[in-house]
Amino acid sequence: MTIDAGTRPELGLLDVETYANGNPDTYGLPLDTYQWYRDNEPCSWQEFDDPALIDALWIVSRNEDIWTIDRDTETFATDRGYVNFWKVTPVDPTMGGSPAMLSMSGQDHKRNRGVISRGFTPKVVRRLEQKFRDYAIMVVDRAIEKGTFNFVDEIAHAMPMEALGDVLGVPPEDRAKFFHWVDQFAAPFDTRITPSFDDVMIAIGELMVYATELAEKRKVEPGEDVMSQIVKASADETLSEEEMMGNVALLASGAAESTRTALSHGMHELMRNPEQLAWLRERATDVPDTVAQEFVRIASPFTHLVRTATRDVEMHGKTIREGDRVAMLFASGNFDERAIENPRAFDLSRSPNMHVSFGRGPHTCLGKHVAALEIKILLEELMQRTRSIEPAGDIDYVRDAYSRGVYSLPVTVKPA
Amino acid sequence: MKVTLDESLCEAHGECVLAAPEVFDLDDDSDVAVLLDDSPPEDQRENVVMAARLCPVAAITVED
Repeated sequence: MTIDAGTRPELGLLDVETYANGNPDTYGLPLDTYQWYRDNEPCSWQEFDDPALIDALWIVSRNEDIWTIDRDTETFATDRGYVNFWKVTPVDPTMGGSPAMLSMSGQDHKRNRGVISRGFTPKVVRRLEQKFRDYAIMVVDRAIEKGTFNFVDEIAHAMPMEALGDVLGVPPEDRAKFFHWVDQFAAPFDTRITPSFDDVMIAIGELMVYATELAEKRKVEPGEDVMSQIVKASADETLSEEEMMGNVALLASGAAESTRTALSHGMHELMRNPEQLAWLRERATDVPDTVAQEFVRIASPFTHLVRTATRDVEMHGKTIREGDRVAMLFASGNFDERAIENPRAFDLSRSPNMHVSFGRGPHTCLGKHVAALEIKILLEELMQRTRSIEPAGDIDYVRDAYSRGVYSLPVTVKPA
Repeated sequence: MKVTLDESLCEAHGECVLAAPEVFDLDDDSDVAVLLDDSPPEDQRENVVMAARLCPVAAITVED
């Protein structure tokens, strides 16, 4: 189906229903709607009638424009409130949350990112590789014993939970409860996950209390993890307690949920594209780097992020006023034929892959190399330890227009 | 081809190392990337131009 150029699509770009009832043939995304906006209204004013959401914002849908906005943090600021189109997030200090890298700018951002990125250096990542492989083997073997299971819960959830635990410094015995809190605020509009908004606030509160306890623990028992880096930072770069809490919430939702989402959408496409699955199986002992990038592109784990204009800006004939909110619609930019050749195809060998899922500016995802490593190692173990992976039911999406989570993906596997 | 890396801008995002591993590297204990060769051979041009394009903080410039 293509949408007539003269007719504005009935559904907006960020309607929850669009994503909750997404079409599995188009990655669960409204690709025709995106295309209409890219072609006809690439900078579009959209209003929302929901007390939990922003009242209105500009939505920018072309790949190149997303690069431009993400890199120009002077004009499109991160520190004036709103991270996405939700009114409340745990990392927005203008709405009662704590400051985190994503809601900072300038020297504060540089200081926070400088300290936290020490938990993500090449040396640290190399040391994680063997642990990640041990986790992957454990997770895959446990799932194989079940035979038929929900891929999201048994594999896509378990792998990033352990990996994030190592990166952040959360002890193994605390990981399940830590992830439970993250799930609550990562999907505040899906009542199967979060019964009410009160649960969101309770989860954020509990996570913050836990973060301060963990900080104390790492002062006594330091490691190479992010929390240890935070508590041992020198006086001139030290993070405040509020900054520490905000960044824990940011890393938790960024690391946990997005990797699970990328693995789940990627697995779904592998089962729909037997030639791609066969290509991957031929490379099971050393999965190419392009694979994780294509998973991340088609998954588009977060549909968008929001910035605030610091001055009036013209874009495609529209005037964005100082103070207006601007959403970079990553999910559309990832399927923009102006930047991505044959964008609707799932191509594990795609190179270059100019996707925008991690962002492309100073706030680009800090965990992108760790995420790529997790996906690579998990796929290597999954491909080598199974003979077949087949669908055992339909995919079901999380009810949300920001997070692209998968609620269930039933599969049946046979051991190699 | 002349390549420069502005260390005051670099935040060790690592995109350059993935795009042009023969020209850029990341040290284990440094907060900035390392420019291994500021006049790389012509066959590195495509990689270096991609590295400059991908750098999230525009710390890399390529001349000639």
